[in-house]
Amino acid sequence: MKFSYSWLCDHLETDKNANEIGEALTNLGLELESLTDYSEYSKFVVATIKDFRKHPNADRLNICKVDDGTNIYQVICGANNVKKGLKGIFAKDGMYIPGTKINLKKGKIRGEISEGMLLSERELNLSDDHEGIIELLDDFQNGTSAVEALKLNDPIFEIGITPNRGDCLGVRGVARDLSAKGVGKLKPMNFKKINQLEFASPIIWNINNDNNSCEYVVSRYFKNVNNSKSPEWLQKKLISLGLRPINALVDITNYITIDLGRPLHVFDADKIGKKLDMRLANANERILALDNKEYTLDKNTTVIADGDNALAIAGIIGGDYSGCTDDTKNVFLEVALFNPNSVAQTGRTLGINSDARYRFERGLDKNMVIEGLEYASYLINKICGGLVSKNIEAGKLDNFEHKINYKFDYFNKTIGLVLDPQKQIKILKDLKFQINKSNEKECEVLVPSWRNDVKNKIDIVEEIIRIYGYENIKQSVPSASIDEIDKIDNSSTNKKYKSIKKLKKTLISNGISEVITFSFHSIRAQEILKGDKSLKISNAISDDQSYMRNSMIFNHLESAELNFKKGFKNIQLFEIGPIYNSSQSQENILSLLISTEENTNSIYKSEEFNFYSLTELTSILISSLNFDIKQFNISRSTSNTYHPGQSAELFMGKKLIARYGKVHPLIMEEFSKLKNCYAIELFFENLPIDSISKANSINIQDSQFQFSEKDFSFLFEKEQNLFEVQRYVKGLDKNLIKNVDFFDLYLSKDLGDRSKSVTFRVTIQSIEKTLEEKDLEQLHKNILEKVSNKFKAKIRS
Amino acid sequence: MDIKKVLNEVTKEIEQSSSQQELQNVKVAYLGKKGKITELLKSLKDLSLEEKKSSGSKLNLLRIEVDNLIKNKFNDLKIKEINSKLKNEYLDISFPPPNSIASKAHPISKTFDEVITIFGSMGYSVAEGPDIETDFFNFSALNIPENHPAREMQDTFYIDDKDKEGKPYVLRTHTSPVQIRTLLNQKPPVKIIAPGRTYRCDSDSTHSPMFHQVEGLFINENANMGDLKGTLIEFCKQFFNVQNLKVRFRPSYFPFTEPSAEMDIAYEIVNNKIQLGQGDRWLEILGCGMVNPIVLENCNVDANIYQGFAFGVGLDRITMLKYGLTDIRSFFSGNLNWIASNGFTIGDF
Repeated sequence: MKFSYSWLCDHLETDKNANEIGEALTNLGLELESLTDYSEYSKFVVATIKDFRKHPNADRLNICKVDDGTNIYQVICGANNVKKGLKGIFAKDGMYIPGTKINLKKGKIRGEISEGMLLSERELNLSDDHEGIIELLDDFQNGTSAVEALKLNDPIFEIGITPNRGDCLGVRGVARDLSAKGVGKLKPMNFKKINQLEFASPIIWNINNDNNSCEYVVSRYFKNVNNSKSPEWLQKKLISLGLRPINALVDITNYITIDLGRPLHVFDADKIGKKLDMRLANANERILALDNKEYTLDKNTTVIADGDNALAIAGIIGGDYSGCTDDTKNVFLEVALFNPNSVAQTGRTLGINSDARYRFERGLDKNMVIEGLEYASYLINKICGGLVSKNIEAGKLDNFEHKINYKFDYFNKTIGLVLDPQKQIKILKDLKFQINKSNEKECEVLVPSWRNDVKNKIDIVEEIIRIYGYENIKQSVPSASIDEIDKIDNSSTNKKYKSIKKLKKTLISNGISEVITFSFHSIRAQEILKGDKSLKISNAISDDQSYMRNSMIFNHLESAELNFKKGFKNIQLFEIGPIYNSSQSQENILSLLISTEENTNSIYKSEEFNFYSLTELTSILISSLNFDIKQFNISRSTSNTYHPGQSAELFMGKKLIARYGKVHPLIMEEFSKLKNCYAIELFFENLPIDSISKANSINIQDSQFQFSEKDFSFLFEKEQNLFEVQRYVKGLDKNLIKNVDFFDLYLSKDLGDRSKSVTFRVTIQSIEKTLEEKDLEQLHKNILEKVSNKFKAKIRS
Repeated sequence: MDIKKVLNEVTKEIEQSSSQQELQNVKVAYLGKKGKITELLKSLKDLSLEEKKSSGSKLNLLRIEVDNLIKNKFNDLKIKEINSKLKNEYLDISFPPPNSIASKAHPISKTFDEVITIFGSMGYSVAEGPDIETDFFNFSALNIPENHPAREMQDTFYIDDKDKEGKPYVLRTHTSPVQIRTLLNQKPPVKIIAPGRTYRCDSDSTHSPMFHQVEGLFINENANMGDLKGTLIEFCKQFFNVQNLKVRFRPSYFPFTEPSAEMDIAYEIVNNKIQLGQGDRWLEILGCGMVNPIVLENCNVDANIYQGFAFGVGLDRITMLKYGLTDIRSFFSGNLNWIASNGFTIGDF
């Protein structure tokens, strides 16, 4: 909502300046978004070109002698409208030019000195016009300030109006609110009702009984008007807000829309029929609107029509055909009430954001219907002359009446501040709420017609504190209670965040950086990863963000590619965030990606990153969550995101805990620059939260007695799960067998295609004594026998 | 027998030994089973008691002295040998290591952590809700009916899939649906924050289609607007680490709170950088208000008994302000250079 200071003063008697009013607006909840104040332009002055000649070294430039009333300056000017005697706006050496954002500097242009600048409108940020320098038409004295010469002494306010405050979509409403805040006094409306309503309107109204959105419509017919340019005061008002004056009739309706927040419409009466209908549109009915676009309507749209002809989209926009032009002789003025919901819905469906829609969908002041009609009639009659008809109406104009029972205590309890009932009542009265009955405890409040947003007693509280001032609310900080601290300690979500932080720290200390990527998948990712189609975003901004991701790997490959292009060779990144399995199921997981290149450094050597490096990393991550990778069931992953032979899944019962491996070569085809990509997905939410969030949950028994190590080699079946073997060996004597470390795997043709040779070292230690040779031998024998029996393994020497 | 002579002789031989082996030979020659000194000691048995005494103690002293001399020499030789070995083990210490970039946590992680800690100290536990929401939780339960202009305050993403009411799922436009989910599951008192991802179809340097918010909700029998104001000022002081913080509460409108407010903090530009806390310019930080009784009733909470407040803070925004970051899009680009420059090492996180 935009208006000028002088326009506001049409309705408000105030001694406050623009800045003070701006601050009051914000404190009222009418947030000041900008205040355009040109007072600093007074440094620029009117100056006359006394004489000019061509620049010797540049065809397009002229050397001008410029008189600013005190001195004569030489100015090099490239404008094509330079002429002797031209009065323009002059800026001197050192002045800041707002349009170009530079400080003017005296200097030579192609060898000729230039001591200032004659300005264009663009250089003053007044318009985009840069065709030439400003040419003043009136005869101002040289040295007159630009503010005066360009009539810039009227600051422009732009305020944000929240959806509940439709009443402030007119300058008068804003003035009313300011007056309640004590910023000034609301002036009475200054116009005379037309007393001589000469004749009955030849055009009549009918509201169809088809559930259209019109509640009430009232009109007047204006005969023999003279429509041409509107008077200067009106044009200036519209121009001050950046609106283009069109003709008097249209300007008047635009003016009243802004002035009173009351949209109304004028038809050229000679272009429409004698009986107008408010009705629902026919399916696929078309209308060419005033914005020069053709709209196809549906059966939910209310139109104003003469018979089959839609003339206007109700509450949104008029039709092009029936609009008023300079030739209009007879006018039909329409002021109506439409259902805000329908207007909103139609406006959204058709994508039209008009001033009328904006106001209608926020709900209009019912009492402003007749006032708008009278005001418009007065202005049309005064500006365009002619004769005015009696009212013609249809539908019913209900009186707005809304009463709220309000207890003064409620304010105190809600705001935490005791405010005397008399003070509360005064504020409400200032806001033009009526107080019907009141005692020291409560009252009955009658809401003014323009405040359809005030519905309940809590809204009354808001009104009072809004005027009383949020700055007067006393602050206090409710501290944590023991119950609350207990809740935090026991909250599984708090525990989860703690565990996530632990994971993040482990990852960072392992050289992996955290990224956050969008929750989206591109169309490409969705196709490659074969995601769920039901997760498509209906109104995506771009193809890159058209699905909800069901994995992060693709996003991370894209990040890796980006970083590769930036020169990174070894990329290690992770993200902890949501993936979406369906619209009703999302889970937070850790996903990490490692992309490495062969290390060619002959000094700083490191082993190539492979599946086993990844397993080790997975193991570290799981350890940081107080679990041991070896306690899970391991199997090959069937996910088509991974290399089928170099990927694994860890399960706890039926719950997937982790999936990791080399990214499938088919996917890598899409990221051909990246080599050797590995990923881990850790589904940490599937782990019991109490275990993973604990601080010290691992208990390793420490022994002071000597330990002994013994290596065992077996020939297993090739697909034998070694996690099982490890668990089995360890379980053979939980007290004595401390560790079972696998350290060699050997596959060879001479072992046959179906077996593998595996070596592990068993560490044996008692916490009670140093074991004797015979105890050890017994245990060794036991391991050999049990393992070979259990797994049908051959003992290798 | 001249002990002195033996001592001179052995001392000389020890000194002349140039390797541990040579020295070992000397040791055997004198102190070995058949060594000279050992032999001398053996010969004592043939002497008289008197002589035994005097010669014996002298010989013993000799043995100890020689033993010490050898030990010391051994030590010297060992040091010399190691030193001469070390000379061959000199590396080029100036050979530069490969470039590495610090691994860091994302600034948003740091903010999440701080927000949880600060509000935790005020008694707020963490709650959560899904990113893909129903129309009910994201809008209607929060008193944002269909066709209400307030819906247009937020550009909503829709999912093709439809919920039980036949309405398309939405990507939550704010974290406020967690208020509803929590109140439907938990009887007051309720004191929670809910950080998380939120979505609006908007994209430029200050708007991202995905961003982060934290929701706060405190419902009991008397939580009032003064408590709201104090809580949020305290949070901002702690988060921005500014004790002298100038703030402004001004009326605003959210359908789910009444009265509603927005909180601004003052700032000034010092050396082309935003400095928070003082000055006469204002930055919008968050929206808040007293929970609308309509919302409480929607959650089956008796608004005649319970009241309280809610707030929503843009986490990306406060992160940008705190650390002077300017483009929200870089948050989600996965650019490791950006993370290395703006992220937090394990010690700072």
